[in-house]
Amino acid sequence: MPSEGMSYFHSLFHSAGALCRGDKQLLALWVTKTRSDSFLLCLIFITTGCAVYGAVIGCRQGWEMTCYVALKLPAIIFLTLLVNGLLNGFLGLVLGSEIGIRHSFRFLLTGFSVMGVILLVISPVVLFLSFNLPAPGSEEAVSGHAATLLLHITVIAVAGILAHFRLLSCLRQFAATPRAGTHTFLAWLLGNLFVGAQISWNLRPFFVSPGLDIEFVRPDPFNGNFYEAAFSALQSLFPL
Amino acid sequence: MKEEEQTQAYNTPLITRHEHANPLFKGFEPIQGGCNLTNLISFLLKKPLAIIHDIETQRKPGRIIFSLIMVSAACLLVFGFVVGTFSSDKIDDTQLWAAPLKIFGGMILSSLLCLPSLYIFSCLAGVQARFQTIAGLLCSLVALCGLLLIGLTPVVWLFSASSNSASFLGGLLIMLWTVCVGFGCALVMRAGRVLGMKNLSHIIIWCVVFLVVTLQMTTTLRPIVGKDERLLNFGEKKFFLQHWGEQVFQDLRSEKSPRFQ
Repeated sequence: MPSEGMSYFHSLFHSAGALCRGDKQLLALWVTKTRSDSFLLCLIFITTGCAVYGAVIGCRQGWEMTCYVALKLPAIIFLTLLVNGLLNGFLGLVLGSEIGIRHSFRFLLTGFSVMGVILLVISPVVLFLSFNLPAPGSEEAVSGHAATLLLHITVIAVAGILAHFRLLSCLRQFAATPRAGTHTFLAWLLGNLFVGAQISWNLRPFFVSPGLDIEFVRPDPFNGNFYEAAFSALQSLFPL
Repeated sequence: MKEEEQTQAYNTPLITRHEHANPLFKGFEPIQGGCNLTNLISFLLKKPLAIIHDIETQRKPGRIIFSLIMVSAACLLVFGFVVGTFSSDKIDDTQLWAAPLKIFGGMILSSLLCLPSLYIFSCLAGVQARFQTIAGLLCSLVALCGLLLIGLTPVVWLFSASSNSASFLGGLLIMLWTVCVGFGCALVMRAGRVLGMKNLSHIIIWCVVFLVVTLQMTTTLRPIVGKDERLLNFGEKKFFLQHWGEQVFQDLRSEKSPRFQ
């Protein structure tokens, strides 16, 4: 007879599989919170998946950075949801999908849970790949840093897009009309990308540039924003 | 008795006959649960056409219009305060009270300037509605815009606290403002259709005019973001595109932009 812990683990595993398959019945139960443990499961999936992937990002820089990024990656998700919560709810209503603040929060939480699961299962692969790249202290540290940056950004972007598109079909079904569901989905995606990029800038560093110190956050986390920095980088490439 | 009088339909408009024939008329029905403030906010987001329906069919829609103005005032003042935090962190605290007043005042002024043209343009488009209904429609536009801006305040605060560049924040605010006014204009168009509009082009022209007026107001009432020697700068006349262009080039010349680390 399996113990209680084992049966909970089995339930987690089963839920993760059903979520990734896009089980519409389960998604509907999660979103409407008819299933009471859905919120807790979402928190477990997001925290575990992002923390493990965060640890993979930071592990090349030592144990300190491993812990820091493992804490900061789930924090980006939760802070983005918090900052955009009101707006997502309003957009859901205004765009005619009839999805209010509470439901939009649950939808996005479910979407990010799928992303957490994807990041969790891809972590061993990425860990293997990142250990095959030039180490931070080596002669080729600069190219190694660029390759690491590219690898992680690609993996996170793909995981995010896959997770959100898994949610799209459910959103189209749940919304007043499929068209309104698609519009709401695109508006949420755009808003979350825009704000998520800025929050990740505020919580930097994740990939410590060669020559810079390892810190939890930079001494001036609110000095500048992601888009100013991106523009500045473009300016240095193509001077006006 | 007074309540009855208020809810009494004095003259059911002609267009309600088509109410269920076209999906565009969905939501053009009486407000359920009374016209209290929370219900009004909820309907403004979910079924804004219900508000237009009640304004059009009630003999005295003043209470609804007053509530819409109150919602707009509260939302725009809070949004303005958050915008003012950018300058208060970096320059001085004057903008904490000046920015909300300028944003609210600017919107009121823009609405007053555009109300007559909205009435005439809606008449040209074939809309069969009273002046009160058109005024209520404009108030709904402003209130919806204000509500969406309230939803954006956490985002604006995040960028206001992080940005060094006034042009960046100004650009972001203008983009968000345009999006919110766009939602308001979409409401005007939907309401126009249910009120018998035959030609959309007149309303589109009005929407462009309204957007341009609100954008020009940002330059007329400058500075709203960033600093200037004076609280208001009515002396120097500038078109908003010229003013923004100058600000952007001024910022590009300075080397304050952060770097990726």
